[in-house]
This record gives sequence, structure tokens and C-alpha cells, in this order.
Amino acid sequence: MAGQPASIPADISDELAYLHDGSPEGLLSCIFAAYERHEDPAEIACRADHQPRLLQTSVIIPTDPDHAHRVLAGIRTRLGAYTHRQALKCTLSGRADAGTALYRFVRFALDGTDRRHCESCRFQDRCARRSCQRMRMAPVNDVTHPRVKPFHDAVRSVDNECEKIRQFARFQHLRDEDRDIWFARINPKDSVVPLVLEHFVERFSIQPFILYDEVHALAGIWNGRESYLVDADDDALTLPGASATEAVMQDAWKAFYRTLSIDARYNPELRRQHMPKRFWKNLTEMQGIATALQRPHERPIEEVPGF
Amino acid sequence: MDIVQKLEILSDAAKYDVACTSSGVDRAGKRGQLGATSNAGCCHSFTEDGRCISLLKVLMTNVCTYDCAYCVNRKSNADITRVSFTPQELADLTIGFYRRNYIEGLFLSSGVIGDADRTTELMIETLRILREGYGFRGYIHAKAVPGASLELIQQLGHLADRLSVNLELPSSQSLALLCPDKTRQSVLAPMKRISESIAEDAESRALVRKRTTVYLTDARPKRAARAFAPAGQSTQMIIGATPETDWHILGLAASLYKTMQLKRVFFSAYLPVMEDVRLPRTDHVQLDREHRLYQADWLLRFYGFDVREIIDEAHPHLETDVDPKANWALNNLDEFPVEVNTCPYETLLRVPGIGVRGAKLIVRARRQTTLGEAELRKLGVAYKRARYFITCNGKYMGRGVEFSREALHAALASKIEGGSHGRRADKVADGQMSLFEAVDAAPKLPTRTPTPLSEAPRASHGTQMLRTAREDALAPATAATSAREEVPF
Repeated sequence: MAGQPASIPADISDELAYLHDGSPEGLLSCIFAAYERHEDPAEIACRADHQPRLLQTSVIIPTDPDHAHRVLAGIRTRLGAYTHRQALKCTLSGRADAGTALYRFVRFALDGTDRRHCESCRFQDRCARRSCQRMRMAPVNDVTHPRVKPFHDAVRSVDNECEKIRQFARFQHLRDEDRDIWFARINPKDSVVPLVLEHFVERFSIQPFILYDEVHALAGIWNGRESYLVDADDDALTLPGASATEAVMQDAWKAFYRTLSIDARYNPELRRQHMPKRFWKNLTEMQGIATALQRPHERPIEEVPGF
Repeated sequence: MDIVQKLEILSDAAKYDVACTSSGVDRAGKRGQLGATSNAGCCHSFTEDGRCISLLKVLMTNVCTYDCAYCVNRKSNADITRVSFTPQELADLTIGFYRRNYIEGLFLSSGVIGDADRTTELMIETLRILREGYGFRGYIHAKAVPGASLELIQQLGHLADRLSVNLELPSSQSLALLCPDKTRQSVLAPMKRISESIAEDAESRALVRKRTTVYLTDARPKRAARAFAPAGQSTQMIIGATPETDWHILGLAASLYKTMQLKRVFFSAYLPVMEDVRLPRTDHVQLDREHRLYQADWLLRFYGFDVREIIDEAHPHLETDVDPKANWALNNLDEFPVEVNTCPYETLLRVPGIGVRGAKLIVRARRQTTLGEAELRKLGVAYKRARYFITCNGKYMGRGVEFSREALHAALASKIEGGSHGRRADKVADGQMSLFEAVDAAPKLPTRTPTPLSEAPRASHGTQMLRTAREDALAPATAATSAREEVPF
């Protein structure tokens, strides 16, 4: 037997990873595929940033919007509108393990719903199983369960990121002869434009605007009548110049921001906690301040006289 | 003078107003109109001191006929440039900021120009341009000027979302000492009127909405009138400029919540910006005390505590090394430990280390599973504090530390995290400040030298008042215990 390569036992090599293209539909297609192929992948990840583990088999799952919608529809009927909304948020998460978290939660939630909690239920005689709110909400309420906790965390971080964008998106007024738009550039960790667009449409319905997510190359557009999403990267953006009042307003805002601080209460840690530094580059009031706070090795080296 | 300079001066003058909340009213957007509000409010930026900027906080003008000792805008301060916004300028600026998502709305306050009524009229004019001219649906907080006529305040309330009247100081004696132009009556009357109007308006709107009366159905207005201050009213007072105790301050806050239905009472640690014989000669800013007062305030508003549980007359100051809730738990050890898997929500809220969010999650999670240490940690509860006060499925979690007041006090004591900068970092005196003891530290007053106060007569007047204040220091306390009149102010 010596000299022959040791064969790999089948039972440890069958850890599966499903890879998708990084879109929410791709992720949901992977979940669909797991049911369709009767497999139980250990990981669902984006193809671009997946690192295969030792003895792991990777399978690339093609994106199919129809499959994705069927998964969502299934979640909606079996687990209710609330969980459906949570699952949607989870698909938009930027975390590497969000796909796995969602898959493991969906498996856990869908596989056990038939009989869960029925034994002790007061209403079990009169109950129309499928529409039982108590049963539908049971999985998502089981926050401490190891299958639910990662999902819960991913959703919560997406929620937080949405709030940060509602707080820190800054619009600029741009105009030329034929265009008059308001433009905001944001850099969220999660792809939250679809979730927050409605918020901005509600309050800024009188101004056509573009909410541009530079990290995910996604733009949310409101043209005054309807809102839609467009995939666009920086090269595709052609924007008019700033309007006449823009500079004045920015100066006024910066002056206001500077003035409002009280020296005796100076507490930069607290500011950083509420307003993380990763947002500063797109915040009007932090322009000019951001560079001064770079770490020493990131700062441009000043000219040395006589060198 | 251009608008940026004006804004700089007038926001600098307004920055000592602590309230900057945009919460309390949900108003959906409308197609073709600018703005919406959400119940939770939204902070759009944070200053270097970590405080949030939610509203454009400015004064209409810093011209003021009043002469309040601590205020940078006082009549006798000749060092500042006096400017005013016109209503149109201010409305344009608000709209410009709002459309860029810089702010959630406007916080409008003002120095008293001419008299209180004239000032209020200017403010009303501004809000009218915003609401009616621009159709602005964002948040507006307006500050009622003490002494303004109640009819004008009525108008102001229908344009604003929140109104506030500043108490300024925690007792009427202190008010008389430091704000000679304001009286108990001029502060409390508008406050009372606002709270009545809010209740009246809410009631009549509810009747119209429900169509509960036969008579009102026809009278239903075609176009709904604006609600009166739908986000309620708030107030603010300066802490540490006068000798009131925490017991007095919290008693006052609690009675304001009860009798005036206030939404918030803000505390503002006294910061020396002006020099005056009537003001404490210290440079120490009581930020830690302010923090503890806010903790106690939260217990009143969100945790179902009664003020008498938090503080009593025998111990008139809050503990410095443990927070008020932990202190209550230490004083009531016979109520602990509680069983997290079965005890009611209200009891959970009283456990140190479990907050509103943690308690809600516990209630939600324990329907599905039995909670132990690992589960509680996952729920984001401050387990290392909570463990001394709970059992999980009958098992006491705080073993290792004796279940006695002293031992637990030591385990729960912690320093207030206030950052390593600012005036808190180099505080000179431990514990509560004593007003009349000199602190041996050089005062760090602002570099700009304030006007020397006009000499002998005023100074002697001041010292005399100071003496009166010292004698009166106990008066609010006695007044508060005995009659407990409506507002112990």
C-alpha cells in the first residue's frame, strides 16, 4: 500500500459551499437550490470573496429571480410578513456570513413549524394551523437559539446602518441648463439604498434626487413622480456642477457645526461613537477636518525645507 | 453682515440650550410638500463634544432687554455683537439646510427684543413663513419667551411641534437672584397654559375623529387645523449655579411631569461664561452630577420608578459611584434575586444591568426557551451587573460575592465614562460642589474678558443677595416637604 496516496474518506469531504454572484436574488437562489437538490450546504457565500476551506466542495449556483421570489413567497406564507421583511433585510447585509445565517435560519424555521408549540397552545382545537401567528413568530422570537442569533444580528446591523444613512446622507444641489437635481453620496457597509429610499422620497418629494451608494455601485433615483434603483458605478455618473447657493449653504452649515460645540464638554470619543469615522469622508461638515485626524502614517509628508 | 456670520453669532448664543430633540410626533410626508417627522426623531450630526445636532438651533436675535447673570446675551454684556435674523432669512436658511438633510427642523429661541410680545410676534412670523409659505412639514421647536401674552403663545403652539418654557433655575428664589426680570409667575403661567391647551386640543381632535357627538359631525372642518404642540412641551434648568440639592431638583422634575405633563426636563450643568458676584466662583463643571440626574430622570420616565424610591430627604444627593438604579436595588435587597424566566416585565426593568431593550428581548425570548447565563449574554444584557440580582431557572447567578449591601456596592461601583477630555477630566473637587467654598484652582473663564460689573453699588447689592440666597438655600427644601404644592418651584 505504501506509495499510494491515502484516499479521502467520503464523509469528511462532503462539506458543501454554495456560491452566488453577490446579489440578493443570488443568495435566495442558493437557498432554493439547497431544497431542490436535497443538500445541506455548510456555507452560502458570495463568489467574489469566498475562500474555500480544506476539503470543501464549492458549487456555483446560477441566479434565478424566479427561484428567489419563490423562496421569499414561501417565507411569507409560512413565517409571516414580519419575518419576510427581516429576511429581505438580511439578504442586503454586507457581512460575509449573512448568507449562511439566513439559510440556517430558514432551514430551522421552515423545518420545524408543523408541530412546534402546538402541544401547550390554548387554541389548538380551534386553530387553522397555517395562519397561526404564534407559530409563525416562534422561530424569529427565539432570539437566543444558535440558528437564529446570527440572523438576528445581521438584521440588526442592517437596521442600524439604515439609521446611519438616514442621519448622515448629505444632499448637494446640482444644476445646469436642463437639469436640476439633488445628489447624495453614501458609503454604507450594507446595501441599504432599497430600504431607505422610501424615507427620503417621503420627505423630499419636491426635489428630484439621486442617492448614490458608492460601495455597492447602486443608485436610488427619485424623479419627482416615481422612484427606482439603477446599477451605476462612478464612471457612469455624469453630474452637473453645483448650483449658485450650494457653496453658501455648505459654508453656513460648517460654520454652524463649528460654533455649536462647547469647549468645556469636549469629548471626541463620544462623537466618534455616534458618528463613526468611516462616514466622515462624505459628510459636508467634516470636510477639512477629516485629514487632520488621519493616523500619522497616512498623513501626507510635509515638504522638508532644503530637501 | 452676511448670513454666515449672523448664523455664527446667533448659534453661538443659542448653543447653551440643551434640548435638541426632534422626537414625539409622527407626521407622514405629503407629495408636493417638503418634510416629514418621525416619532423617534433623528440626529443628523454630532459636535466635538458628542452632543447631537438634530435641529437648526439659533436665536432670532441676541438683543436682549433682560439681564440674567449667567447668560452670554445679558443686557450688560457689551462684548458681543448684537444681530438679528429677519423672519424671511431664517426661514430660507432652515429650508436650505433641510433640503440637504443637514437637519430635522428648526429650534427657535430668542433674546427679548423690545418686549416679550414683540419677540414672540417675530417668531410667529418666521414659523408662518415656514409652515404656510413653504408648506414645511418638518419639526419645529419653539421657545416661549417668559412674559409673552398667552394669546400669542397660543398662536405659536399651533405652528410649532414642541414648545418649551425654561425654568432656568430649580427654585424661584434662585430665579429671583440670578434672573431679576423673570418671576415664578412669568415662567409657570405660560407652562400651565400650554399644558392645558395641549390637553384641550387633543381632546377636541379625538372627539372629531371618533365622531362621538352628533353635534360635531357637521362642524368637522374642511381643512384640518394644525394641532397644538403635538410633541408636547419641555423645559430646562441650570444645575450647579445655585445650591439646590438633587432631592429638590428631582422632586421638581417629577412634579412637572405629573402636573404639567412635560415630555422632558433637561438639566444643564452650569458653565462659567460670564463673571458675576452672584455666580459660583468655580471652574468645575458638574458634568458627572448632570449625568446622574439624567439617569434618575430616565428611571422616572421609562422604568416606572417613583421619585421617592430614587432619592429621599435624608440623602439629598445621588450617589456618585453607583447609578441611581443600582442604588435603589442595594437599598431594597429584600426584593432580589428575581427569576428572569418568570418575573413580570416591570420587575425585570428594576434589575441593574437590564434596560428597556434587554427586558423586552428577555420577555420575547423566554416564550421560546429557558434563559440561562449564555442566553442572557446573547441578549445584550449587562450580565456582570445583573447576575447578582437574578436567578436563572432557580439557580442564583451571583455566587462568589456576598449578598450584602457593602459587598454588592463594591461590585457595582464604577466611574462615569465621560471621555478623557474636557472640563470633566481635570475636575478639582470630589463629590458635590459647595457653592461658597473657594476652590484652589485658577478659573478657566473664556479668554474674552467680560465687562467689569459696574462697581460698588451693584457689588454690595450682589453680596447682599448672596447672603439672602444662603439663608434661602434651605427654604425650597422645607417648602417641598411640607405642603408639596403643585410645583415645588
